[in-house]
Amino acid sequence: MKRVALLLLAAALILLAGCTPGFSAEATQERTPVRLAMGYRPDIQFVPLYVAEELGYFDEAGFDVTFEHMPETEAAQLVGAGELPFAIVSGEQVLLAREQGIPIVYVMTWWQEYPVGIAYASESGIRTPADLVGKRVGIPGLYGASYIGFEAIMQSAGIDSALVELESIGYNQVEALYQGQEDAVVIYVNNEPVQLDALGLVVDVMRVSDYVHLMGNGLIASEETIASSPMLIAGFVEAFSRGIQAVLDDPDQAYEIAQSYVEGLAEADEAVQRSILEESLTYWQTDSIGYSDPQAWINMQNVLLDIGYLQGAQDVSQAFTNLFTAP
Amino acid sequence: MAAEYPSTRARNGVSVLLRVLRIPLSLLLFLLMWGAISRWSDLPPFMLPSPAAVGARFMRTWRDGSLLYHMGVTLSEVLSGLFVGMAVATVMGYILAKSPLLEQILSPYIIASQAIPTVAIAPLLIIWFGPGRISKVLISALIVFFPILINTILGIRSVSEDLYDLMISLRANPSQILAKLELPAALPVVLGGLKIGATLSVIGAVVGEFIGSDEGLGFLINIGRGLYDTPLVFVAVFALIVMALGLYGAVIVIERSVLRWRTG
Repeated sequence: MKRVALLLLAAALILLAGCTPGFSAEATQERTPVRLAMGYRPDIQFVPLYVAEELGYFDEAGFDVTFEHMPETEAAQLVGAGELPFAIVSGEQVLLAREQGIPIVYVMTWWQEYPVGIAYASESGIRTPADLVGKRVGIPGLYGASYIGFEAIMQSAGIDSALVELESIGYNQVEALYQGQEDAVVIYVNNEPVQLDALGLVVDVMRVSDYVHLMGNGLIASEETIASSPMLIAGFVEAFSRGIQAVLDDPDQAYEIAQSYVEGLAEADEAVQRSILEESLTYWQTDSIGYSDPQAWINMQNVLLDIGYLQGAQDVSQAFTNLFTAP
Repeated sequence: MAAEYPSTRARNGVSVLLRVLRIPLSLLLFLLMWGAISRWSDLPPFMLPSPAAVGARFMRTWRDGSLLYHMGVTLSEVLSGLFVGMAVATVMGYILAKSPLLEQILSPYIIASQAIPTVAIAPLLIIWFGPGRISKVLISALIVFFPILINTILGIRSVSEDLYDLMISLRANPSQILAKLELPAALPVVLGGLKIGATLSVIGAVVGEFIGSDEGLGFLINIGRGLYDTPLVFVAVFALIVMALGLYGAVIVIERSVLRWRTG
């Protein structure tokens, strides 16, 4: 009798699991629709996701993925509100969002280092952060990854950032440095230096990663999704990881695939776009795709506390998990 | 008749009371609806904060002076942009009103310029004129230019030919015709354009601040978004609304003052 009752209970649980709403579809045969939020627009830098889609990794894992482009702050809020299952955001966004009560968790590291730096003309005489004192430094704005990267460099070098003449110039760093309007500009290391080089301006770059290890871009999910649909996350992380590995193994194939996802890429300056991809690859190389280094989270929190973006320290171990990545 | 008097008086009293209270009442209704939606909808507080949370954030920014500072920055850009845009638009509008040939030549370019989204040219202006306040003033001036220009042309052209004939018969010179006839006659329409321009100028300055700035209400909104501080975004947006309403009200006051002669 007891065995019959247990069997009935198990059958009821299976039925219940099949009826569970939300993102869970671990027991279904059909592909699960998944909306993935990422950056402002399609770009060669998102190529691992295009490759995972094109080579059928998402399909094999049971996902029907739609890419959606939006600012990462909006993406994080939508994930926290349960409107989207996943988004690609930078590490600092997780700590900032969690402080405001947005229950998101970083479930997979993609960029192994923080891809921000400070670029300056090689002939400018600038060599170290101390050389920036009294200089004009252009930055997209006093917020976001660029500002955090700038402050991280200055903080790590022990330089008071107030001694630097920061100017908010929007995303016009290439033009501003090329025209000599700024002595240096805060940039994404895989992007603007390549474009400046193409314009014939030889630049050097101080990279955040040369000074401090911070969390870069990665995949986030909500606490609710982690609790209710862990297999969904595990499957997505695995497919995404396969996409990263495929790009690292064959960048030429990846570039070809990206052309059907990034409008205008086929007509763009191929040398520049390939250089952006090659530079990005250096940030994706790792022996353990997806793994989050706890120290990088502590470092990130220290930077955010120092610049007043966080009002108080939080338990950073709650902001990320390595549960879904292979050891 | 004597029996009707108190009820008429009572009706008038209610009417006056309603007139006085309609804005506070509509504001209260708005706050109640907002509070109800934030409380009973599925939207979490980080997407739709309650009026109380926004009020508390307002008090913080008010007390530390940051709201006043950023409002001051935006207001100075808005007023400068409005002044520059209005000056250029009225002068150019007068010239075009007087010269149909010039209007035919320039109109396609002026209309085409309106088809360009401000957000598309704002980054270029910041590159050309630097990240300081000048670029924001120019963006604001550009956005107010068109409505004031069009209304100036309409206003000048609305002056009756008979009045021109009268002025000429009185041997008025061109500057007297401008000062005594054209400006007073065109003023109501020009001020109509200024009302539109006053509210648009706020948008212009904030677009510039969005693209690249470290001060102003647009910057405050960017900071709020970047830090997931949605109440701060609401505070800055409401400050912009207050600013736009204030400017609109100021134009109405000016209008009533300078056009008093029309109503005697």
